[in-house]
Amino acid sequence: MILAILIILLAVVVVALIWFFGQYNSLVGLKVRIENSWSQIDVQLKRRHDLIPNLVETVKGYMAHEKDTLERVIKARTQAIDASSIKDKAQAENFLTQTLRSLFAVVERYPDLKANQNVLKLQDELTSTENKIAFARQYYNDEVGRFNTKIQIVPTNIVAAIGGFAKKEFFEIEDKAQREAPQVKF
Amino acid sequence: MPFSFIDIEEQKSQVIWFVFLFIIFFYFLTAWILLFVVENIPSTTLDVVRGIIFPPLSHTLIAFFVAFFAALIHWSFSTNNLIEKISEAIGAVNIDARDNYHQYLKNIVDEVSVAIGGRPIQAKVIPDVSMNAFALEDLNKNAVIGVTEGLLSRLNRSQIEAVVAHEAGHIISGDCLSTTVTCSLSEVYEEALSGIKRGFSGARSSYRSRGSPAIILIYVVLLFMKLMSNLLRYFISRQREYRADAVSVRLSRNPLALAEALKMISNNWRGQGVAGEKLESIFIMSPRESALDEREGIFADLFSTHPPIKNRINILLDMAHMDDKTLEENLKNFKRVSPVAKAEFKTEAQTKTEKKWFVFKDSQWTGPFLLDELNKIEGLRPDQWIKLDGEDSPVMPAYEDKDVKRIFSKSEEGLGVEQKPLCPHCKTLLTEINYEGAPILKCLYCEGVFIEQDMISRILIRNDKNFSEDIARLAEFMKPNLKTKKIQPANAWVIDCPKCGSQMARQYFVYSYPVEIDRCFHCAGIWFDKQELEVLQYMYENKDKFLNNLYF
Repeated sequence: MILAILIILLAVVVVALIWFFGQYNSLVGLKVRIENSWSQIDVQLKRRHDLIPNLVETVKGYMAHEKDTLERVIKARTQAIDASSIKDKAQAENFLTQTLRSLFAVVERYPDLKANQNVLKLQDELTSTENKIAFARQYYNDEVGRFNTKIQIVPTNIVAAIGGFAKKEFFEIEDKAQREAPQVKF
Repeated sequence: MPFSFIDIEEQKSQVIWFVFLFIIFFYFLTAWILLFVVENIPSTTLDVVRGIIFPPLSHTLIAFFVAFFAALIHWSFSTNNLIEKISEAIGAVNIDARDNYHQYLKNIVDEVSVAIGGRPIQAKVIPDVSMNAFALEDLNKNAVIGVTEGLLSRLNRSQIEAVVAHEAGHIISGDCLSTTVTCSLSEVYEEALSGIKRGFSGARSSYRSRGSPAIILIYVVLLFMKLMSNLLRYFISRQREYRADAVSVRLSRNPLALAEALKMISNNWRGQGVAGEKLESIFIMSPRESALDEREGIFADLFSTHPPIKNRINILLDMAHMDDKTLEENLKNFKRVSPVAKAEFKTEAQTKTEKKWFVFKDSQWTGPFLLDELNKIEGLRPDQWIKLDGEDSPVMPAYEDKDVKRIFSKSEEGLGVEQKPLCPHCKTLLTEINYEGAPILKCLYCEGVFIEQDMISRILIRNDKNFSEDIARLAEFMKPNLKTKKIQPANAWVIDCPKCGSQMARQYFVYSYPVEIDRCFHCAGIWFDKQELEVLQYMYENKDKFLNNLYF
């Protein structure tokens, strides 16, 4: 009788252990996936940082009167490169996007510049890179969302607590232009 | 969320292994039936009395091994070079880096590849006016997404992105792999059958008696195999299209764009008759317009590769909180923003730069000279040192500078390694310009253009250019009628092809678009004199108007 109970207990423990390891491994898998998707974002951000000096160099000759705009872009770029934590990075990149947007608005005012093949190409590339950043961010946030859900729901939160898995941060870009509700004025 | 990437990866379809087991099974079945027939052929009267016998176990085993190896050979044969083979069958080509439209597609495909987690995807294009898209994947994890030129030139960016994301959905869910392999498997029989058929008809006409029974037997067996392999298609379930639509929405977060794209594709010609019927399952929408696809029920579920378009669109519209009528209204007012309109004719301006060079001559630097002045210097050789006017420009041999190099290619006509194209009328250098996204050669003096063979279809399909009233009037004047059909353009002025130097013939583009052009017989490139290209384009884009009164 005791032997039977012992065997049942042992079986339960073994099953629990197998379940534990399985969950632990899947959490590790998710974590690696998040790190990987973070490096994806990094690649695209770096690509953008590399494109900006080219753009500034091409545009510089045409617009002597717009030094402010150009300097702001360069400054924003340096800030973005220096940022280290996820939150700082998100903020710096957001600022960079805004300055770039104002630069392109200025470019629109110069017909010569608008017609320049190199500027057009760089503009296309930057737009495409920006889209890629958005997609990479979407992928990263999806994975983070999954991971955070998993380490908080009931059975797996025990595994997460024992394994020391902490919540990951989302890569949020607060775009003021998009966030603010449109104001209606009469 | 039902369609996260991990879910998809977990449910990754294992159909591919069923497919392999299936081909082993039906090779075995065929071998066994052959065995059965052979062993029951009566050789003596005794055998007839004995009745039917089944082959012994040892023979069955041998049949099984033969079947296994046949399946293995078949498998490796059809999975080898999978992507190239199928691309060729549907006429898909690699993108042209010089073409703006293709670059634009490549950007979109790259973006989507980032969105699915960074898996590299190659972009391809089918040079065809129809609207469709496809995805291919092979066992080595190479993936290809392709669209037709027609789709590229008629949808806007977010719609193309939705379509590409749909195809990416097929790739990450793994059903693209099984579809691609299945398509290639049945192709082997198709080829063998058509080969025998050709041999047959040839043999029959000359030696009627020699149609040997062995060939007939092989033919029948192959026919049977082909029918069986068609069964494989039914492994391809319609559900996968819904699944890919869901992935597309998840990637692009834009159900409306996909709904619009599907609607526009379904209203258009999807390329029926171009791609083989057996390949239909790789496309976003079946190229055939089949009533079966639009039906529901068990029978349709079993035998059709694509679900009803109406259902697909309705699901998407539901997500976008919109109804069918509003969608149609929106599409009526749909205006595409051309991705190349801004870039047109811009390379032209670059050739007129006022650069100056210093030349290292007789042990000292002289200059600066303009390009024209450089041209007049006697004894300037390609290996002489030159330096661009400017403080920190590098010193380099003359042949390394693109602009200076052109002087030499002009003076060394016929001797130079690469021959520069000359205008056949004015004999001046042709300039490469960008016309509706495609690179073409233009003479800046007489405004004639030279277009290579594969560019012409692209330019005709695209409609970024607006035409002046002059062009419309010219086209009206030249419009096809019964009279023009009889006149042959006189071959009075024979010009040489700028690309390959062979003679060009003056002829109509085609009889239904009677624009006189010069076509090279050797490379099939076409020379258009001033305005001829525009007139042709105008006719093509308004073809309803022009072709209607052709025969009346």
